[in-house]
Amino acid sequence: MRSKTFWLLVAMLVASLALVAAGCGGDDEGDDAAGTEATTGEEGGSEAAEQVITVNWGTEPPSLDPGLASDTTSANILLNIMDPLVILDEDLNPVPNAAETVETSEDGLTVTFTLRDDLKWTNGDPVTAQDFEYSWKRTVSPELGADYAYQFYGIVGAQDYNSCDAKKDDCAALADKMAVKAVDDKTLEVKLTTPQPWFVQQAAHHSFLAVHRQTVEKFGDKWTEAANIVTNGAFKLERWEHSSAIDIVKWDEWRDADRVKLTRVNGRMIEDGTTAVQAFEAGEVDVLKAGLPPDEIPRLKDTPEYEQYTGLGTYYYGVNVKNITDVKQRRAMALAIPRQSIIDNVAQADQLPASGFTPQGMPGFDAINPDSPFLPAEGDMEQAKQLMDEVASPKTEITLYINDAPGHREIAVAIQAAWKELGITSEIKQQEFQQYLEFLGPPPNKDVDVYRLGWIGDFVDAINFLELWTCESGNNSTNYCNKEYDAVIEEARKTEDNDARYELYAEAEEILFGEDGDMPVLPIYFYTYTGLERESVKDTFEVNLLDQVDLTKVVVTE
Amino acid sequence: MLKFIVRRVFWTIPVLLVVIFLTFMMMRQIGGNPFRQSERAVPEAVQRNLEEKFHVNDPWYLQYAHYVKGVFTFDLGPSLVVRGRDVNDIVRTHFPKSIELGVYAFLFALVIGVPLGMIAALRHNTWVDYSAMFFSNVFHAVPSFLVATLLIYFVALKAGWFPTSGWTTWEHKILPSVALGFGPMALFARLVRGTMLETLQQDYVRTARAKGLRYRRVVGLHVLRNSLIPVVTAAGPLLGFIITGSFVIELIFNIPGIGQSYIDSVSNRDFSVVMGLTVLLSGIVIVANLVVDILYGILDPRTRDARG
Repeated sequence: MRSKTFWLLVAMLVASLALVAAGCGGDDEGDDAAGTEATTGEEGGSEAAEQVITVNWGTEPPSLDPGLASDTTSANILLNIMDPLVILDEDLNPVPNAAETVETSEDGLTVTFTLRDDLKWTNGDPVTAQDFEYSWKRTVSPELGADYAYQFYGIVGAQDYNSCDAKKDDCAALADKMAVKAVDDKTLEVKLTTPQPWFVQQAAHHSFLAVHRQTVEKFGDKWTEAANIVTNGAFKLERWEHSSAIDIVKWDEWRDADRVKLTRVNGRMIEDGTTAVQAFEAGEVDVLKAGLPPDEIPRLKDTPEYEQYTGLGTYYYGVNVKNITDVKQRRAMALAIPRQSIIDNVAQADQLPASGFTPQGMPGFDAINPDSPFLPAEGDMEQAKQLMDEVASPKTEITLYINDAPGHREIAVAIQAAWKELGITSEIKQQEFQQYLEFLGPPPNKDVDVYRLGWIGDFVDAINFLELWTCESGNNSTNYCNKEYDAVIEEARKTEDNDARYELYAEAEEILFGEDGDMPVLPIYFYTYTGLERESVKDTFEVNLLDQVDLTKVVVTE
Repeated sequence: MLKFIVRRVFWTIPVLLVVIFLTFMMMRQIGGNPFRQSERAVPEAVQRNLEEKFHVNDPWYLQYAHYVKGVFTFDLGPSLVVRGRDVNDIVRTHFPKSIELGVYAFLFALVIGVPLGMIAALRHNTWVDYSAMFFSNVFHAVPSFLVATLLIYFVALKAGWFPTSGWTTWEHKILPSVALGFGPMALFARLVRGTMLETLQQDYVRTARAKGLRYRRVVGLHVLRNSLIPVVTAAGPLLGFIITGSFVIELIFNIPGIGQSYIDSVSNRDFSVVMGLTVLLSGIVIVANLVVDILYGILDPRTRDARG
């Protein structure tokens, strides 16, 4: 009797286990669900029959509203579902795209975009210059509260309109004064506050995309949902399940649809780096776009799917010049950092040791880069020690602040060890990002002697990097203020000729890092982006310096 | 009895108000700027526009009053960071997934845990008992994220039986449910074993056996039913706990549940989302406790009077 009951219970247990194991039996289906097998060919070559890829963007795009989006993921989706006026070619020069021509007046103050004739929205409406005028003003409008409104500050009247206070000012009048105007359906005229040679490049930024007015007005905040959105680019948004999937498909009626090979790009949003790598290895995604976890890089580097791109960004340590006052100490600290070994052993993604602040890849880099004597790739401990000996009253106990994202601590520890040799004891303090930003100010908290940050370019001109170190810059947490430096930057803003401007940038870099450089900043390395790409798309899936991919160029091979 | 229930329900309101107040105050203390999400400083005009738009510059008591009103009218306000979405949207999209995951994990725990405990009790002090208890102790002690990582590595990646992450087809749902369910399963097994051993010693069991009732019937009818009462009372809060405690599993398996939104909202300083989700999750815990209180009241009239 007893044993019967026992076997009954055993049977129950086995049955319930079998329930769980049922999935194991269906393992073929499991593979199908994972199913991108068809697109993962052995050797590159002919076009695959099925032009479908799955990309892990790494995160939910916070917004598909060109006015509100301020991150890479949103930008990447947007630039593929919308038709930018200009796009950047491989060398980051602007090329007319939805605009047929772009003309800049002789004084450099007026830029005229002439639209192509064959532009239309997915609902059939034509794309007009009025759409652009509406969109740009909408982004600048105080009611929208767009982060990237400042991208438009170079346009006459934009800053005034953005700063408008509805209680005191006549905002509608200020909106009218903002100098972007649709002269007719095809002509968009923009007046700039100063000649800004980078403006046309800047127009490739996603915040300069047009939105469909009726849709925005009809659906309000919800216009970007897949069911509502009206777009005008090579792909259209088919499905957007928040925090889970974003799928775009080729739009056959796009003006240049014949050129587009991909029929569908399934987007996933796996945030955890390790989970993402596992999903790739299990064949569930074809491209990992979001960057690899630092501790996985050494293992993945030798796989054929590993891919890395140069990024337009600089990883740096800022020095609070009010705390570390002697420039010789700052120079010694810069010299002591063995950048190349940090890259080889800690950062590991073949970043480039920074020899100035403007990153490699920036137009004019060779002219601008100061090749600072205090930033040799391997460091120079001997010279550093010599300099340190000359410091009258060195600050030998410092606090080094970093935020708590992966990888920063390891680099900080390496630098701590290097500075130890100079007789500087550094305490590393780690903070959560939001607190960290608040702590840094500017002005920074008094306790900050050295801090870590990175800067990623929004647009392709060194001004975007060098203006950080002006006195009034909201991103300058070093307390560094040099009127001479500010004057050079101000001069550069007005200089239209590229070579002349690069020279001014070089001068600015010289003030920071040259023979007599002030060294308020210790650049560590220039960024690279890492990812994994299935060999079937590796040749055509190209990420540019701004971390953007043009999906119209991607082809899946057998 | 009705009076007791009404009073209990009524008491949840001040508890909820205190939760809102504490969360509200803590969020104000924590610092950070929801309108700045990168190292890029936000221009003054932009910052001012945003503060105006989301009323974050109003005096705190106005904001608090506004918020309380929102909670009781089921309008939790807009997200400050994920522009164009409001907290109600976020709850509507993501919460069902967390519930689904919680329920599957719970079912897994129940279906495996209860029989396991029974077998262990019936085969008391044999190798069956020892091994069942050994496994449930191990699973009770091992954190779910480790189970999850091991499952992904061996079952998904090496064996290829299941997808590694996501939450779309039923195949996607098995590993996360199992990973989340292991802990509670062990708990159930131990609980059932304990109470069952106790019940087996009861006089009425001996009497039933002495009367000549068949062993299977004694166990099935008397022992099992009485042993399950503590399980039922434990199950309510546990279900609440599983639903609210699945954050790590959601992260590892990339499940678009409420956990990811919660974590993101805290690190982004998306105050309205943090508030909304905290209120929601504390609501669940409050309701779970309420249910237990009422259940106790029904099962044991003494507690009704004492607590009434």
